[in-house]
Amino acid sequence: MTEAGFVTKTMWLAAKDLRIELRARDTLAPMLGFAATVALVLAFALPEASSGNVGVVAYVQAGFMWVTVLFAGLIGFGRTFEVERAEGALDSLLLVPVDRSALFVSKALSNLAFIVVLEMVLLPLSALLFAYDLGGSWGALVAVVALVDLGFVAVGTLYAALAAQTRSRELLLPLLALPALVPVFIAALELTADLLLGAGFDAVAARGWFGILVAFDVVFVTAGVLLFDAVLD
Amino acid sequence: MATASELRPRPAGLDALGAATWTSVAAALLLVFFVAREADVTMGGQLQRIFYFHVPSAWIGYLSFAIVFLASIAYLRTGACRWDLLAHAAAEIGIVFTTLVLITGPIWARPVWGTWWQWDARLTSTLVLWLTYIGYLFLRSLASDQAAVGRLAAVVGIVGFLDVPIVHFSVQWWRTLHPSGPTVANPTTGSGLGAPELTAFFASLLAFTLLFCWLLSLRLRIGRLAQRVELEEIERAVAETR
Repeated sequence: MTEAGFVTKTMWLAAKDLRIELRARDTLAPMLGFAATVALVLAFALPEASSGNVGVVAYVQAGFMWVTVLFAGLIGFGRTFEVERAEGALDSLLLVPVDRSALFVSKALSNLAFIVVLEMVLLPLSALLFAYDLGGSWGALVAVVALVDLGFVAVGTLYAALAAQTRSRELLLPLLALPALVPVFIAALELTADLLLGAGFDAVAARGWFGILVAFDVVFVTAGVLLFDAVLD
Repeated sequence: MATASELRPRPAGLDALGAATWTSVAAALLLVFFVAREADVTMGGQLQRIFYFHVPSAWIGYLSFAIVFLASIAYLRTGACRWDLLAHAAAEIGIVFTTLVLITGPIWARPVWGTWWQWDARLTSTLVLWLTYIGYLFLRSLASDQAAVGRLAAVVGIVGFLDVPIVHFSVQWWRTLHPSGPTVANPTTGSGLGAPELTAFFASLLAFTLLFCWLLSLRLRIGRLAQRVELEEIERAVAETR
């Protein structure tokens, strides 16, 4: 039998995490529940769409949507190494004959799967509940979401691995990740607000925020792959 | 057992650096308060003198975090303790000076802008920077495995600094209000930056930089002594069990 390649091993590792989640259901379900409660609480602070200032309402709606995704995502990412930690299996995982970067990519992929499912539920639901007027911009929104998710997952997974090795995992992950994610959050907010205000894909793409998102994704996916070795030693 | 006399005496270079620091601090204070002219009232008049402390503090903050970045890379490559100590020391001092930036800014902004805080590009990116290194210091104090502290902190030291330019550009596009260089320094309308003001500014910059070097040397010495005390305690414990 020939040695499996980097991609195959990464996929096996990611599939393992997703299989555990499918059986135990202890990450995704709480994430969805948490997102729903955050959305509920934020709804009380939302100005009425009929109150006049459409621009302000669009920004507030976009902001609430991304705050919900960010918080629920961090709750989920905080559990990245929970299974291994709880069962003392981290050493076994480190013994897998594969490059540490494959470990990072596999954990990032399973986190990406969680966040994509979360958004697939949350975005249509909040569009329904808060009467988002996206018109024909759903495609553009998907492009924005994809770019945001990549950077979010890269930073979230790297810092989750760091935070897992401290006495205060739940507090340290948001403390480290939220300042780092500021550029992603601003770009996501600006682009989504534009889409809610009826801008088309071309108008949004021309605004340069896509450049910020792409730069962030490239820098932090690379940093994650290169630095993960130092995090788990 | 080690006694105080057995510990290395304070190096003469450190005392000389301290003397140079405090001399330049005194000279800078004289220049800032008595030589630099009063600024135009639109820049805050007498209050504008806070700029001679605000800008050098910001420079020291960035210098410190750049040192954290470089020392973190060096630590991950070599594993030598001294790089980790340098990164830790520079991060602590950087936080102090960035805090000074965040305090002196609003003191000036309240009378001149009419508000303590603006969600402006430079203010926001400085706040993000400050929070990033607060997180860095928390990580250092909360790591459960002391042997891993250096590695974990180095990752944050690198990632946090890589984020600085991206944060800078994103908040720049988001909004900007902060006056840049010459506007703040402008002592009187239309006259540009005069020689007395430039002298005071560079004297202050030199004083802050020397102060930084002195504080860093002291902090490194404390770190080295702490490592040594730890080592001697272990040796003593080992000797007692024999």
